[in-house]
This record gives sequence, structure tokens and C-alpha cells, in this order.
Amino acid sequence: MKNDEMLHSFFSEMKKQDQQLEIPEFPEAKVKAINWWLPSGIAASFLVGCFWFFQLSQAPEAPAEVIIISLEQGENNEQQIIIEEKAFIDTWESTTSSLLTDF
Amino acid sequence: MNRTELEHILKQLHRDAYIWARQCCQFDDELAKDMLQQSYLKILEGKAKLKDPKKAKTWLFSIIRYTIIDEYRKAGKVVPLEESYDPIDTIEEVDSTDYEGMIKKLPEMQREVIMAVFYHQMTIAESAEILQINVGTARTHYERGKKKLKELIQKSQLIEQNEK
Repeated sequence: MKNDEMLHSFFSEMKKQDQQLEIPEFPEAKVKAINWWLPSGIAASFLVGCFWFFQLSQAPEAPAEVIIISLEQGENNEQQIIIEEKAFIDTWESTTSSLLTDF
Repeated sequence: MNRTELEHILKQLHRDAYIWARQCCQFDDELAKDMLQQSYLKILEGKAKLKDPKKAKTWLFSIIRYTIIDEYRKAGKVVPLEESYDPIDTIEEVDSTDYEGMIKKLPEMQREVIMAVFYHQMTIAESAEILQINVGTARTHYERGKKKLKELIQKSQLIEQNEK
């Protein structure tokens, strides 16, 4: 026990010496901030993608007016160009369509 | 246990933890700082979990010690394999106020048990937990370490007396 006193005194002196030690600051833990730029970018790209997809999938509307230019043969076998204006292309009928049925 | 509670415990033990890290690193300040930082990181990232808050100090000291051992292994430094290895005494002058110098002369396991018990006021059983050895082995290191340190202290005192 007497010898242990020697050790206790040794360590007590050592501790005194360690009082002079420069203890580093406790490292403050950095809370990992979420980088919102990445998810925002992904969401924005997704929205733009969806917008384009729906834009493309919509059927284009027929134009309000259509100009039909047809080349026909006149009475004296001369070529003539006929220009017609129609509201819709599906109402247009070929001037020679009668040939397919009326013969 | 949440992160804030864990940080609070670590802050409370910070001084002791740094001193312990330094003691395990052969009193190398810079290495001790790095090792302590790495240990805290392990803990805060959840790689090491504290089950019993009453054993926080033992748990933290054990993590620090194993982080240092890992670092030594990575650096290729040899970790003594023989737990009971006692180096042959070399006749060297020992300064009685060079406490760290005298501690360094002890074999690693003896040094760590002695430091845990005498410096950090832990029991032999707690030091065994830190070193992950059984209590009997820790007791052997404790006894041998004590004997060796006493011899060193006496030697240093004799040298001092002869010089006077």
C-alpha cells in the first residue's frame, strides 16, 4: 500500500503537469444541410418533360381555312389551275372523284 | 439515444477522452487529435452505439483505443502481439519529472491498464472492458505494470539522490 502511495503521488504530479495541456475544442458537428438544388433541378426537369410530352401527344387542330389548288383539263384540252378555299380539309372533294364511281 | 444526448455526453468526456487518446498514441498530440476526431465521427455516424449510458466513459475509451490500433495497422506500425511481453530492461537515465517518459517505458497493455486505473480512476474490470480482455489478464498487466513503474520511479529517485 505504501508503494501504491508512490504511484498515486506520481500520477497526481502527472495530472498537475497535464493541467498545462492545450485541450482541442470539441468539434462542433455540422448538421448535414440538404442541398435543395439537386432535388429542385430534378423536379423542374420532370415538369418540363411532362409538359413537352403532353404537348406532343395532343392532336394538332385542323386549320380554320384551307386553300386547295388543283390542276384540271379544260374543254379545249387546256390545263387550268383551280384555286378553292374551304373551311376544312375533310370537306374537300377531288374534282375527279366522280370518275371512281360514275362510269 | 438521440444525437444531441450523445453529443452532450461526448462534450462532458472530451477532456478525459483527449488525454486518453494522447496516452494511447505515446503522447503524440497531433495524432491524438486526429484519432479523437475519427472516434467522434464513428460515434456520430452511428458506427458505434452506446447501449448503457452509465458505461459511456468505458465505451468511449474503448472506441478511441481501437481507432488508434486500426490507424497503427494501416500505417504498418507493429502492434505488440504478446500481451505479457516485457522488454528487456535497458539501463537508461530516467528523469523523475519526466512522467510521460517513464510511462512510455511500460509495455503497451501494462501502460494502458495502469493509466486507466491510476490516472482515470477506473477499476481493473473497467480497464479490462476497454482493452477487451478478461479481468484476470487485466489484473496481471496491472500488477506487472505497477511493479515496473515503481522500479522506474525508484531508479529515477536514486539517480536524483546520487546527483545531489
